[in-house]
Amino acid sequence: MRLTCTVNGDRHEVDDVWEGESLLYVLRERMGLPGSKNACEQGECGSCTVYLDGVPVCACLVAAGQAQGREVGTVEGLAGPGELHPVQEAFLEAGAVQCGFCTPGLLVATDDLVRRSRAEGRRPADAEIREALAGNLCRCTGYEKILDAVRLAADRMAGEAR
Amino acid sequence: MSTPTRTPAGAPSSVGGPGGRIGDDAQRPDGVLKVRGEFAYASDLWMDDMLWGVTLRSPHPYARIRSVDVGPALAVPGVHAVLTSDDVPGEKVYGLELADQPVLALDVVRYQGEPVALVAADHPDTARRAAARIVVDYDVWEPVTDARAALGHPTWNQVHDAPAAVTELSRESAHLHPHGNLVRHLKVRKGDPEPTADVVVVGEYEVGMQDQAFLGPESGLAVPGEDGGVDLYVATQWLHVDQRQICSALAMPPEKVRLTLAGVGGAFGGREDLSMHVHACLLALHTGKPVKMSYNREESFFGHVHRHPATMRYEHGATRDGDLVYVKAEIFLDGGAYASSTPAVVGNAGTMGLGPYVVPNVHVDCYGAYTNNPPCGAMRGFGSVQTAFAYEAQMDALAAELGMDPVELRCRNAMELGSETPTGQVVDSPAPVAELLRRLVAMPLPPEPATGDDVDLRHMPGGVSNTTHGEGVRRGVGYAVAYKNVAFSEGFDDYSTARVRLEVVGGEAVATVHTAAAEVGQGLVTVEQQIARTELGVDAVVVHPKDTAVGSAGSSSASRQTYVTGGAVKAACEAVRGRVLERARGLVGRPAGDLRLDGGKVVSDLEGVALPLADVLGDDAVEETVEWRHRPTQALDPDTGQGFAHVQYAFSAHRAVVDVDTELGLVKVVEMACTQDVGKAINPQAVVGQIQGGTAQGLGLAVMEEILVRDGRVQNPSFTDYLIPTVLDMPPMRIEVLEYADPHAPYGLRGVGEAPNISSGPAVLAAIRQATGLPLRRVPVRPEHLTGT
Amino acid sequence: MRPFTYLSAPDVTTALRAIATEPGARLLAGGTNLVDLMRQDVERPTTVVDISTLPLDEVQELPAGGLRIGALVRNSRLAAHPAVRSRYPVLSQAVLSGASGQLRNMATVGGNLLQRTRCPYFADGTAACNKRDPGSGCAAIGGFHRGSAVLGTSEHCIATHPSDMAVALVALDAVVEVQSLRGTRRIPLAELHVLPGDTPDVETALDPDELVTAVELPALPVAASSRYRKVRDRASFAFALVSVAAAMEVADGTVTAARLALGGVAARPWRAHLAERALVGAPATEEDFRRAATAELATAVGRPQNAFKIELARRTVVATLHQLTTEGGAA
Repeated sequence: MRLTCTVNGDRHEVDDVWEGESLLYVLRERMGLPGSKNACEQGECGSCTVYLDGVPVCACLVAAGQAQGREVGTVEGLAGPGELHPVQEAFLEAGAVQCGFCTPGLLVATDDLVRRSRAEGRRPADAEIREALAGNLCRCTGYEKILDAVRLAADRMAGEAR
Repeated sequence: MSTPTRTPAGAPSSVGGPGGRIGDDAQRPDGVLKVRGEFAYASDLWMDDMLWGVTLRSPHPYARIRSVDVGPALAVPGVHAVLTSDDVPGEKVYGLELADQPVLALDVVRYQGEPVALVAADHPDTARRAAARIVVDYDVWEPVTDARAALGHPTWNQVHDAPAAVTELSRESAHLHPHGNLVRHLKVRKGDPEPTADVVVVGEYEVGMQDQAFLGPESGLAVPGEDGGVDLYVATQWLHVDQRQICSALAMPPEKVRLTLAGVGGAFGGREDLSMHVHACLLALHTGKPVKMSYNREESFFGHVHRHPATMRYEHGATRDGDLVYVKAEIFLDGGAYASSTPAVVGNAGTMGLGPYVVPNVHVDCYGAYTNNPPCGAMRGFGSVQTAFAYEAQMDALAAELGMDPVELRCRNAMELGSETPTGQVVDSPAPVAELLRRLVAMPLPPEPATGDDVDLRHMPGGVSNTTHGEGVRRGVGYAVAYKNVAFSEGFDDYSTARVRLEVVGGEAVATVHTAAAEVGQGLVTVEQQIARTELGVDAVVVHPKDTAVGSAGSSSASRQTYVTGGAVKAACEAVRGRVLERARGLVGRPAGDLRLDGGKVVSDLEGVALPLADVLGDDAVEETVEWRHRPTQALDPDTGQGFAHVQYAFSAHRAVVDVDTELGLVKVVEMACTQDVGKAINPQAVVGQIQGGTAQGLGLAVMEEILVRDGRVQNPSFTDYLIPTVLDMPPMRIEVLEYADPHAPYGLRGVGEAPNISSGPAVLAAIRQATGLPLRRVPVRPEHLTGT
Repeated sequence: MRPFTYLSAPDVTTALRAIATEPGARLLAGGTNLVDLMRQDVERPTTVVDISTLPLDEVQELPAGGLRIGALVRNSRLAAHPAVRSRYPVLSQAVLSGASGQLRNMATVGGNLLQRTRCPYFADGTAACNKRDPGSGCAAIGGFHRGSAVLGTSEHCIATHPSDMAVALVALDAVVEVQSLRGTRRIPLAELHVLPGDTPDVETALDPDELVTAVELPALPVAASSRYRKVRDRASFAFALVSVAAAMEVADGTVTAARLALGGVAARPWRAHLAERALVGAPATEEDFRRAATAELATAVGRPQNAFKIELARRTVVATLHQLTTEGGAA
């Protein structure tokens, strides 16, 4: 089947998509966007977290056909070419990246959290950060530096104009 | 050749920012690519016209294969090849220490998930459907599933067809022998063989099978070469040991089997053994096309070895004053169907298994057995994790029996510089075991659990599940210490190779570091840059892709890479520096003994010389390749287990604070505190990251992680059923890093990665025991173990 | 995954026609369960009817004071809905205790109700499972069954229903609205899921041509004082060992109204009528709570690995009811 959707602001049209493919597979193998990761492909790890119409979901469980006409946002779309998004900068500075396989999904989940809190004019509390990121497994860091990174990003983004 | 992907190759990927020398929180050179989603992990590899390979695996833990019919699979449109063991041109078995594992099943399968056949097709789902159509006729046998039974069993020779039945458990001739069910029996004997003591505590302990649960699945891309060879891009821990085994299976010389490290999504020991390596090469060579293989999570659980489950019996004897008199221990490790690194794990469990304590009289028997359970091998902590649960539980039990404070008992018996280990080795570098503990005790404790109106449910056991409200919640505090050998032991020729080049590019001095040392997330690439910057006085350091075009670096395991490859990079830098300074001496025309490299210049403070490297090198590049070894170690005496077997020890200590809901059996780890001696923190931020991550894996094993195996079958091969800690399970941590230099190690550094993974879990168990008063002999602890229901 | 035909249904009638005419058709909503099971070759639809864009995603007030929740309302929206949070806090809590944020953003109310068991043998194509392959046997009974059911089991199946949301809904007297080409009918949620008996493969009272279109909650004053508790192996993102949904009113130390349901213990969200009967009119003491829970669990059958669930369920009931008497039900 033919799949048409918008990814990171660009319209993509892909032919010969097999019905059994997931949005994750289409992104990674058909659109050349392997940033979203395939750690479990069962919705149990969050490494494939992408925005679907602005809402974070596990791309591995979205059937390709369900992305028809939708807006998808991936880690590759967080910042422009040669730039870093404040959340990306914070993860680097805080040392929140080791193997980095969970990082793309965590960045999308963090971006969502920070944006939602900023819309409410506040910074997320620690307990809130933990709840928001509970769907993203990390095996390397023990999460401490990820929490540091989210706090850092929230501080910086709070200071920015919306 | 650069790694084949469709992501843009970021030019600055391998060059770090300015600064970032030894002791700095230098940032990862691969960090920007990783946060942009552009880092090429093995599962991201892609080439035009590539095929997808999949593996058909045995559904049975133990069976004879009567026949395999690949015809129906070959008939599926889109399928390019279906291969079985008949298609393996070289040696049909492989292994890290013993070649006993079939590349593809021969006549017998010995564990559930053993690879039987391969399919390559133009779409992964086509390949999977085709594999499902291969008809394998199995004669299913009763599996051997208990390590102790396997060794003493009437049919003990069943798994590996030993020539004759043997009933003696400690049969010397079976030591490291590929036949029979005994993989290795290590004996440690020291002091009085029949010691007596005032106070004796005996305990039996059991540790379940843990999975590395790295997030990046086993993946790689094999590309057939024009010379008839193959290029393999793969996520691994040791390129050269892979190459050796692949060459053997393919019957090809090393120059025809070229490996390049693809991005690794975590390893933790689970990538020491081959997974899809040979399979992808076979398919690529047969089809003449690039073949990608990438396991899904379920297959990953079957596709790599796990941490050995252990059953252990310990007897500790002490004087009334609390001095250890003797320890007797019997340790059984279930190695599963193939040897993998079981012999070395037995070596570690046996020699490290009493903890960092001085014990004058020792009697240890450690066994590694073959069974029809999943193969077990390397995982972070490597034999020390299992035994630490036992020896630290014993120390707490002994303290209780003596009426002593458990920390005091540990400090009283703690190893220190100059102590003799149970294997008769004198500790010849700092061993601040007591200080690590005392520093933990000095740290403030977290506030007592809230009650009544102050309760924030998110901080209670059960967390967001609204489970506990402070009723029935008991707090416990527990301590544990880790003791782990760093680098390879027992006489292994442990070395690493580094090639360092210094040149001037576009007016800027640039160093290039080329090693085959696997970057698995730990940050070795950062350390390589920091060392080169420090030794060569340049800012720009390119980390060359890791491949087999340079000599072996050894494995990214055993907490050894910063030590051994770090040592090699340092030595290669020194060699380069020597040659550059020699040239500079010629230019300045005097024997300037104080010349050094700094800021891209040759500098002499005495004489005020500052010669730009461009003037010294011109268009030349100075390159040196160095093979670097740590001090040699020795094999253990086969009768007594005595000898200089280990080059260095790592020590860490944990304090765990837990709240336990004794009604509902829920554990909330409130805080983890850790102290560790790292000799010299090359990258303090990365050191802390290792401590935090290792702590999480230890906590996971303590309270939730276990591969459940019944009748040789894995019951929970998914992240739905194999649970690892989430951010809600991990408490805040307090960390103190000590830096007592090891005079024998480069920069005085000490391996970091494994120790915190060893001490964390036993500290959690100690805290839960203190909170509940329960003996808790089995790990992981489940709610039903705490409720008594 | 096997090949199938993908049909995105533009309207309810198209969807109903597809499932009425195609025996191998399956409905796809949030995808969190079906896509996974198709990948594991457990679900093998010939046609997948994507209903995710149908206009069934409203939460509406009912004239009599209840709520009508469209079958395609996403879990995260349901949990956050102000009316749900204030009038049925147990439902909001139950939904939030399930899965992860990402999955709750995808999963729908209808899909959550109809999700399949998480018994590992159901997903393991090489194991015996009467639910997946009728007549093949039950590997859980002689195998690994720590997570299995203790109530309403049969010798053919001991699987549990995994939903948290459904446990709250069944306690709240929810009614499921179902449509087919033949018309619309309403099924009390307590009757939607059926116990395994001799036919564990039959999991619901739905006919193959029926589509869940909505769930209705009646006006239920007692629900304002309600709580959900879930006991599991990890602090989040894990299925329940045992869970309890409870609503209770107490006047002068006596229970005047009670709604109670258990999760993680049976093939359906287990409405605890026996316990409710024992509670109403009895003093609101821990001793009476325990007696009520014991009455409900009298018929429970534990097996070697899961017998602990019976006492754990009892304690969780007591703790939840005790909490309602001391703290009320505000979220």
